[in-house]
Amino acid sequence: MTGYKSSVPPPGGTGRKTSSWRLLFLLGPALCIIILLFGGGLVLGLLQALGHLPSQNLAAIGLQHFINVLQDPDFGKSLLLTLYISSTSTLIAAAVSVVLALVLMRWAADSRTISFLLQIPLTVPHLVIAVSVILLLSPAGLFSRLFSTLSIIPASSTFPLLVNDSWGIGILTVYIWKEIPFITFMLLSVLKNMGTELLEAGSTLNASKFQRFSCITLPIIAPSLGSACLIVFAFTFGAFEVPYLLGRTYPLVLPVWAYKNYSDIDLLARPEGIAIGLIIAVIVTLSIIFSQLMLHFGRRRGLTI
Amino acid sequence: MKKKVAVLSRCIFLLLILLALPVFTGAVTKKEVLTWDEAVKAARGQTVDWYMWGGSPAVNQYVNGYLATELKKEYGITLRQVPVKDIAEVVGKLVVEKQAGKDSSGSVDLMWINGENFRTCKEHKLLHGPFADKLPNQQYVDWSNLTVKNDFGTPVDGMESPWGSAQVVMIYDSARTPQPPRSVSAFIEWIKTNPGRFTYPAPPDFTGSVFVRQIFYHATGSVDGSVNTWQGDYPEPEFKKAADATYAILGELKQSLWRNGETYPESPVRMNTLFADGEIDFSFSYHQGEASRNILDGIFPETVRTFVFDEGTITNTHFVAIPYNAKDKAAAMVVANFLLSPEAQLKKAMPDVWGDFSALSPAKLPAPWQEKFKTLPRGTATLGDAELQAHQLPEPPSKILVELEKGWVEHVLKNR
Repeated sequence: MTGYKSSVPPPGGTGRKTSSWRLLFLLGPALCIIILLFGGGLVLGLLQALGHLPSQNLAAIGLQHFINVLQDPDFGKSLLLTLYISSTSTLIAAAVSVVLALVLMRWAADSRTISFLLQIPLTVPHLVIAVSVILLLSPAGLFSRLFSTLSIIPASSTFPLLVNDSWGIGILTVYIWKEIPFITFMLLSVLKNMGTELLEAGSTLNASKFQRFSCITLPIIAPSLGSACLIVFAFTFGAFEVPYLLGRTYPLVLPVWAYKNYSDIDLLARPEGIAIGLIIAVIVTLSIIFSQLMLHFGRRRGLTI
Repeated sequence: MKKKVAVLSRCIFLLLILLALPVFTGAVTKKEVLTWDEAVKAARGQTVDWYMWGGSPAVNQYVNGYLATELKKEYGITLRQVPVKDIAEVVGKLVVEKQAGKDSSGSVDLMWINGENFRTCKEHKLLHGPFADKLPNQQYVDWSNLTVKNDFGTPVDGMESPWGSAQVVMIYDSARTPQPPRSVSAFIEWIKTNPGRFTYPAPPDFTGSVFVRQIFYHATGSVDGSVNTWQGDYPEPEFKKAADATYAILGELKQSLWRNGETYPESPVRMNTLFADGEIDFSFSYHQGEASRNILDGIFPETVRTFVFDEGTITNTHFVAIPYNAKDKAAAMVVANFLLSPEAQLKKAMPDVWGDFSALSPAKLPAPWQEKFKTLPRGTATLGDAELQAHQLPEPPSKILVELEKGWVEHVLKNR
């Protein structure tokens, strides 16, 4: 720990050592399982993606499947589509969440009802929301029928395409709906601990509303917001079920493409499916590391709690 | 001390005899396939371990309830269902046992199988037989029917015994489409003159994939009798030509499909929803009774009906087979025969039991049984056995299936 800032006297060297040994000991069983199952699965996956089949010997190992995937003309399309979906949904959800968190902070900071209401969407699986969106927004869905019955649109066939459409509106709707409560929740916990002193000091110094937001509130919530966004980004980048149900048949997002290859009748397509999965994993891991670094950076500056 | 050694050596001796026992009995049962009378005699008291996919409560109930009771009562056979997730696991196990030289007393006596798994078994000589021709009830099976004679292009040759069948049927709403097009070419014309009113699940979905094969048969003009071209070994250049013609037809149809073919339903369930919602005018299913079941479930309106193309629709048969090293081959044969009996097939076909279609040819049955099958409650939208069986086309080998699925993605979906 080189960057340790000693606002608190550092504990004695030996004490630290034993406590970290103890920590390792306590975490050991859980870690073993994670390393064995998760790490083992990853290693086995990597082996298969490298072309190792249990019936053959190791000599066949190579990067061929990764090269095949990267050279496929669809890879660029899929990557762009996946990036588009995850970054758009993350950005919109983040923007809405910041506003929502500030409003809630102001009007209902201590309301239990509000925090309970916020928790409901967190517990609903993405799959359920995806199916609901089909029922609501598809051309023969509830909204389309409602609008045509009320004569807002001439016929249900003129209802705009919102599901399986080329802009991924259905997918974005699900993600935004699901992620807003999550990000808002993260922000609220920071805002609650911020207290009002800094803002009061700001207003005595004649700072405008916008200045108070951009110079005080935003820097304080930034690390949390950043890491929440990256978690959302990483999740939406690697999630399969929503684009599978609400996306188009072609082009495919990377996770759906990986699934298609993996579940192909042709067993030879499997390693390529795993290779795509690993590429997704690399991108997701990088974004998680980035998110942790940001959080760490924020902590060092003493901005978050 | 000496006494102890003596006891020990006696134990070892006994153990050796016990270990050797399977070899002796194996040598006895290893000879040729039993005749029917021998099989019935030997079967009494044996236990049949039937390895099968166990994912359907209706099937499990039929096997463990009706079949097990009847077999015990009539033949003194104990039927034990061993549910597996995928019979391919069992095939893999047999391959290993064959390599290891375990030629008798295998744990699998009977397995529910077809298609690719059967081909693997036959190729690696993992099956006991031919035994199907020894079963008395095979007289009710129409072996000249290509869908029974071949299993996804692989000749059955008596190495497995039919159990039931699945056939593609087209689904329409008689209130919306009183006169559906009855032939494939008329159907293609209909799609073109009614743009946006038809679609199919994107292959490699199983149901979407069979539609592509249906068009493939149409494209090769092979539907009137020469479907044989694609059974067993087929000429590769011929296939290439036929496949290209298939993609051309489907590519041309694309703009007339639902949403101009820009996207396809991902599953037959979704296609059924589109059909029920009135977005499209046809659906289809690889199960003859699905439309009726959906009417019962309130998903489809009462006016929904099914039809088969004049040229026929693709059908596959599912079978039971006996592994080469099965312990109770005699009893397994008796079970396979009982599965084919008119009473067991009739029971299986009842909608509230399982609703699986008969593997028997109605024309070959004695008149009273014909009557019983005819009057079977089968739901308003389901066609009769005679109509269905008169319009059956066999599945091509799975190699063609895989090629067509890949080709569809390349040429039709991505338009390359």
